[in-house]
Amino acid sequence: MQLRPGSRSIVRVSDNPGPADQRPSPPMPDHAHAPHAPFHRKEDRRLVTGHGLFTADRKFDGELHAVFLRSDRAHANIVSLDLEAARSMPGVHGVFTAEDGKRAGMTQVLHMLTLKGSDGQTPRIPPRGAFADARVRFVGEPIAMVVAESVLAGLDALEAIQIEYEDLPHVIDAERALAPGAPQLHECAPDNMAWVAEAGDSAAVDAALAAAATVVRLRVDSTRIIPNPMEPRTCAATYDATRDHYHVYSVTQGVNMMKRQIAVAAGVREDQVTVHAQDVGGSFGNRSAQYPEHCAVMLAAKALGRPIRWIGTRSECLASDYHGRSNLIEGQLAVDGDGRFTAIRLDWIADMGAFLTAAGTSSHTRNPVVLLTGVYKIAALHGRWRVAFTNTSPIAAYRGAGRPDVNYVIERLVDEAAAKLGLDPADLRRRNLIGAGEFPYKTPTGSVYEATDVPGSLEKAVKLADWDGFKARRAEARARGKLRGIGMASFIENTGAGVYPKDQVDIEVDAQGRVHAYSVAHSQGQGHETTFTQVIAEAMGVDTARVFLHEGVPDRTLIGNHTGGSRSLVGAGSVCKLAGLKLIEVAKSAAAAQFDTEPSQVEYHAGTLTDRASGKSTTLAELAQRAEGLRTQAEASIGSTFPTGCHIAEVEIDMQTGFTEVLSYVAVDDCGFAVNHTIVEGQVHGGILQGFGQVFGEKAIYDEQTGQLMTGSFMDYAMPRAGDVRHVTIEENCVPSKINSLGAKGVGESGCTGSISALANAMADAMRPLGGPPMDMPFTPSRVWHAIGASANAH
Amino acid sequence: MLLVDFIRDAVGLTGTHVGCDTTQCGACTVHLDGRAIKSCTLLAVQANGSKVTTIEGMADGDTLHPVQQAFSECHGLQCGYCTPGMVMAVSDLLRRNPRPTDDEIVDGLGGNICRCTGYINIVRSVKRAAELMAAS
Repeated sequence: MQLRPGSRSIVRVSDNPGPADQRPSPPMPDHAHAPHAPFHRKEDRRLVTGHGLFTADRKFDGELHAVFLRSDRAHANIVSLDLEAARSMPGVHGVFTAEDGKRAGMTQVLHMLTLKGSDGQTPRIPPRGAFADARVRFVGEPIAMVVAESVLAGLDALEAIQIEYEDLPHVIDAERALAPGAPQLHECAPDNMAWVAEAGDSAAVDAALAAAATVVRLRVDSTRIIPNPMEPRTCAATYDATRDHYHVYSVTQGVNMMKRQIAVAAGVREDQVTVHAQDVGGSFGNRSAQYPEHCAVMLAAKALGRPIRWIGTRSECLASDYHGRSNLIEGQLAVDGDGRFTAIRLDWIADMGAFLTAAGTSSHTRNPVVLLTGVYKIAALHGRWRVAFTNTSPIAAYRGAGRPDVNYVIERLVDEAAAKLGLDPADLRRRNLIGAGEFPYKTPTGSVYEATDVPGSLEKAVKLADWDGFKARRAEARARGKLRGIGMASFIENTGAGVYPKDQVDIEVDAQGRVHAYSVAHSQGQGHETTFTQVIAEAMGVDTARVFLHEGVPDRTLIGNHTGGSRSLVGAGSVCKLAGLKLIEVAKSAAAAQFDTEPSQVEYHAGTLTDRASGKSTTLAELAQRAEGLRTQAEASIGSTFPTGCHIAEVEIDMQTGFTEVLSYVAVDDCGFAVNHTIVEGQVHGGILQGFGQVFGEKAIYDEQTGQLMTGSFMDYAMPRAGDVRHVTIEENCVPSKINSLGAKGVGESGCTGSISALANAMADAMRPLGGPPMDMPFTPSRVWHAIGASANAH
Repeated sequence: MLLVDFIRDAVGLTGTHVGCDTTQCGACTVHLDGRAIKSCTLLAVQANGSKVTTIEGMADGDTLHPVQQAFSECHGLQCGYCTPGMVMAVSDLLRRNPRPTDDEIVDGLGGNICRCTGYINIVRSVKRAAELMAAS
């Protein structure tokens, strides 16, 4: 393992264009081709050899298989549901529906946002059980579950279920859902309005807009995304009748949060549920949420006394996994005669789909409120959020959870303002950025940003991207018949503050002197077993090979947060440092007792404890062999940190095909202290490509006429592929956080938050010579080609 | 019965993963008589008489296959779910083309989807694997 202590700034370029590519590129740093230092994560060996333990890899003695009948229409009453034929099919052990769920008390879901909105109302939370009850509200909603000896027997029985629907008018568009006369989804939510909230000072923004030299208005759609972790959603349950206790095996981001949600949804106490997980095949926010299928398999496990396993297919996941984003935002930016921003107003419609999920509402309302000023000094802010129900799959967190969306509208407004004023977008930002010396910065909506250095990141990014040399590259591209554009995005994010009040880590030494730590935070690819053990190894002066991290261990009663909102290194990771240091103190006390001296007289070095006076020594292993062992627990309460950055993308559009190539991408990030730079880079890479996916083609599309999901397979949903982004330069501009022992700020979401805005600004820049209104994402070749064709300036 | 279900359920080798139901994602890639194929798109009976190699058969005892070694060295995996399929696809790519260009690597990965890495370190891993295999 390569710990690169002290190295706070790295530059690495993936690849230069090949020799056949003669296009001018931004200059690459000299050390870009330094050999890649060997690197191995602790998790890697089992994962590269096929020995990971994902949820679908678990088998249970006597297990039965669950399959689901799902709604094939957007909105309908269930007139009749005849299960008799299915029940008598070979190999079928049971068929379950809403009636069974209701009898078991499965009628509600956890919703974390409880604040009163601007109309004095708390969120209207529709009831939701394990199955659709008399009415379906989106394509993919579970209606019934067959439990059978095999998946195939179950699928055969599904076909024998007779269901009659009475179609209802549907609405898949959130703006239309809020309009008068729209089809209504829930009795508890008149006008399909789940919640309405306001933040900021409306009168101050009115005044600033009236007095502004320039006002820029833009309406953007942060499109509906299907998160699509590569491991399909899967769960299993067993029921222990002797204890009235469920064991639930599930993809998850942390067992505590999952247990709490499952208990609420299943109508049982939290202490009746144990959640098990080891390897989780990606998440991006999506696996933090509880789903109806958890309740369904629990119901059958209890009723049939057998383990029940459900393995989702990709088609099921595309339709019924919670989706992400889907925010329609109208923004206004007021600018004075000196190019200084005086006000921002956002009018935001947050589509929640057919039901509320635990964190969906807060993701797309509270996070944008915190970040309403972006990275700029703006005196007047105001936003209104209307949260709407539609006949689509429910919305939950997706990488960034509202942060990329608010950044998208602000950064697009800034670039449109620069274009309108004839200013360099970098210069316009320089005039308005919160300076490195102006922190802690209190925003007009009450957030307090911790110290960071966005101007420094901007200057580094401008240099790395050769921003000033772009004009020549654009002219050269134009001579080749290509449209070239460059786009910048500065950003700030509030990392997850946590649902639980603190993060605890257990730490202990085994008889061989190996250190074991236990945390609730649960990796879905972030590599905690590597970084957290690096933290402990460094704190204790021991080899990382002797330190082990255990996540999601069910018989621990740790308090702690799931991995989400870029917060795990900030929370559990920094507590690992405290745990390592505390364990040394515990060991000193134990050694002092053994040496018959005071703990202050014991010196600790690299696993060995020595009595200064007598010279006697002992080791962690020897102390651990005592009857009482060697263990302790550390904890801390850590709120939000504020990672920031500046990203610059350069793109080129082929006017003949509308195809866009991303020629270079520069990411300068302040993620605070970075424990492992290689993992930081990996997180940024992955985030950039997910942003690329949204900007260039990923989009969940429902047909307006039928309400059917048109992107229901990987043949239709545009997952990013190898080669979509090839040239990435990453540099860290670290300002350590002061609120946790590591100084970490987090990096899980910054790639996504930066890239959506930077890539979209680059596309807007490339297409500006065409004239016409700015185009919104997705910039698919077809849409771009049509825009070029419609332009009078293109020829 | 699909070959992937035979491998996972009948043989009990769970390193071969299923990531889609339309032959797009490549998580289920195995070698059939040395060639990379998607085991979700072949009936088990069609493999009768053939030699099937899964991810579990790639390492030689404690010594990783060079492609496995390269993915780990280059941080070519995060969650690891797509990784077995990637390793099987890449090892066949390098068998057919030991020194692929960037474009050839990208083409060779066209049938494998990763959601975590952005593919940048996967492309690096392929190049590193080519180096390791050339040196061995």
